[in-house]
Amino acid sequence: MKKILALALAAAMSLSLAACGGGNNGGNNSAASNPSSAVPAGDSDFKVGAIYITSQNDMAGYTFQHHNGITTAMKALGLDPADLIIVDGVPDTDDTAVATAIDTVVNQGADIVFGISFGYINAMDEKAAQYPDVIFSHGTGYMANDTNFNNYFGRIYQARYLTGIAAGMKSLELGNDSIGYVAAYNRQYAETCSGINAFALGAQSANPDAVVHVNVIDTWGDEALERQAAQALIDTYNCGVISQHCDSAQPQLVAQENNAFGCGYNSDMTEQAPNAHLTSAIWHWNVYYQTAIEAAMACNGDASKFVENMGGNAYYAGLAEGFVDASPLNEAIAAPNTKAVMDAVRDLMISGEWDVFSGVKLSYNISDDGKVEIVKLDAPLYSDGVELKDGVLVDRDFEIVPAGGPSVDDGVIKGSMNYNVAGVIEG
Amino acid sequence: MKKQPLFHVVKRENAGPARQLLSYVAAVVLALAVGAVLLWVQGVEPITFYKQLITMGIPGSRYPWRALENFIKLFVPLLIVSLALSLAFKMRFWNIGGEGQFIMGTFWAGFAAMKLGESLPQPLMIVVMAAAGALGGGLYGVFVAALKVRFSTNETLLTLMLNYVALYFLQYFAETKAGWNFFLDPQSARPKFVKFPASAQMITIPIGPFNLNLSLIAAIAVCIILFVYLNYTKGGYEIAVVGDSPNTARYAGMKVGKIVIRTIFLSAALIGMAGAFQVSSAGILSASLTNDVGWTGVVVAWLAKLNTVGIVVASLLITVLQFGCQAASTTYPSIDANFANLLQGVILFIVLAADFFTRFQLVRTKKEAVK
Repeated sequence: MKKILALALAAAMSLSLAACGGGNNGGNNSAASNPSSAVPAGDSDFKVGAIYITSQNDMAGYTFQHHNGITTAMKALGLDPADLIIVDGVPDTDDTAVATAIDTVVNQGADIVFGISFGYINAMDEKAAQYPDVIFSHGTGYMANDTNFNNYFGRIYQARYLTGIAAGMKSLELGNDSIGYVAAYNRQYAETCSGINAFALGAQSANPDAVVHVNVIDTWGDEALERQAAQALIDTYNCGVISQHCDSAQPQLVAQENNAFGCGYNSDMTEQAPNAHLTSAIWHWNVYYQTAIEAAMACNGDASKFVENMGGNAYYAGLAEGFVDASPLNEAIAAPNTKAVMDAVRDLMISGEWDVFSGVKLSYNISDDGKVEIVKLDAPLYSDGVELKDGVLVDRDFEIVPAGGPSVDDGVIKGSMNYNVAGVIEG
Repeated sequence: MKKQPLFHVVKRENAGPARQLLSYVAAVVLALAVGAVLLWVQGVEPITFYKQLITMGIPGSRYPWRALENFIKLFVPLLIVSLALSLAFKMRFWNIGGEGQFIMGTFWAGFAAMKLGESLPQPLMIVVMAAAGALGGGLYGVFVAALKVRFSTNETLLTLMLNYVALYFLQYFAETKAGWNFFLDPQSARPKFVKFPASAQMITIPIGPFNLNLSLIAAIAVCIILFVYLNYTKGGYEIAVVGDSPNTARYAGMKVGKIVIRTIFLSAALIGMAGAFQVSSAGILSASLTNDVGWTGVVVAWLAKLNTVGIVVASLLITVLQFGCQAASTTYPSIDANFANLLQGVILFIVLAADFFTRFQLVRTKKEAVK
């Protein structure tokens, strides 16, 4: 009896499912895909979709930065952010979940799908091939095709160099050459490794004796670990400035508690640590999202033209495009003339005349009235003599770039940098 | 005078099937009503939301068949795991290690795929992966059963702990970039799993634009076989007897230890096989790929009172709830994954509570009885 009833329940349910499906399919498609009164129709038919790693309602952090960037870009382009089709809370460690989320977003009518986390890479690649009429754009990845699939990232190392200048000048003022750096990873990821190196080079340009002590926490975000790592850097090496590549503002808070100073990441952390935080390396994600959505809309329905419209399948912009920057300097606590030096170097990088990982070293002559003269010196870019290969540290050439030589390849900076520059000490 | 509670719990006499069914329906209605209030507070129109939830966003979507394919990919693992767990629960063996056994299944299926995928033809490869997953999951589960039989250890604790061992075991392979780690993509500077060879991808049967995942057929077969096994065979009868009273079983001459080990192996092996289906459907390993089936399966098994047909219905409904929530919430800025989870939790909780009240009732403690 019980079984028969259960069967009946199952049958009733599947019938009602079919009934609902049938009813809605009857020539009322647009209403079914976007039916709610809570979702006002946009000005344009163009639909943007996004896959997020945490909640779209976050108030800080990685997803927040991207969501903010996408909605800002949509507003600038006259699209209604309420029309943004989102699946959030998608773990980047579950390929099936990512693929399902992409299918859902595409099924709801998205013309372009942004995937913000590196781990979405396989699913993005697969789905780009499966849906040639939809545009796919993958943040921090390296896969792409020639038609409807690109990746995007930024020259955040340029911003890191600027924050390094602020740290170096502060260390010079303090008379303490020890600078700390709380890092998610170091040589394991080009992203973290190039950030550490650029920061160290920036610091050395202001204070040639500066040493950057890196404390690796082996995770992108863990507030307790970030805190401990920063405190350990101060206790062990007496670091006077703490920089970071991790999610929260904890290292800056620790710096403040210890009367030290710091450089943040991802957002302006002056609000959290007003007596310690100098400046942060930050992203303006809306710069990319606006460029991409514009290019996608210009495809007029032919998704295969997207890569052509973007001028390539790997977007890699920096200070010049306004994609990355150092957040406004906390001048109340920064060393004198820091802003002038940062501005001068920022202009130099924007001009395209010089870049961080080249065979030209910068130093600064500051006149009494605060005028900054940048001195360029041809000098080799040196590593510390080791690199990480398949999880093992092996010897490498000390010289990375000869004196006066051109910058390290973008491909290396983005994808394979696995060594530290001289003056960086892990541990 | 000792202080007495105001109410006490009494078993209901007349919990007939009709009444039970009625209470389930009432519970679902109540749960949806509570959910509607939550949605309304968020500024979302509940009826529209529910309509999208139940239809899983399929009507009017661009590729309706793909949504159906994804639904099956979510449904099959949950169904098999719930069935497998009910086997163990029937014997009062509290296997809450479904997550770990599932992960071990995916790992060894992935191992087979990477090692043999280039050399074996697809049908054979799928069988080999299913067998490798079943063996990997089964041995992982039977280890705990053996300890329980031999040393009377607590299986709840052990299976729970082993979930985390399995989780970090797989994560180690996911994150360790090294020459020996053949699971990872050698082309990628960052550690990332490489796709399985083509022959290790789950077989699908094209029906028009729709691709029927073969694992659905396997899952239905598992249902039928288990139903027969539990209701019409000696082995199934032994499980019931051991579950009711191990002493009776012993008195009747059954080898309880052997039955426990055999059943738990079967239970864990099925879970491992579900893991194998999952990875071959995905075509790639992932660091956390269980979608919490090991936990959700426990809820499904108990909602269905360990009844095979009930499990099919309950896992179907829960998958609709999960998948439908995602599809329905895409266009509402206020509905994020957290809220969708909350809504699912509220609905499940109310259904479970209703289940409790069909079997028991609260009775006011009489003053006289206290004296």
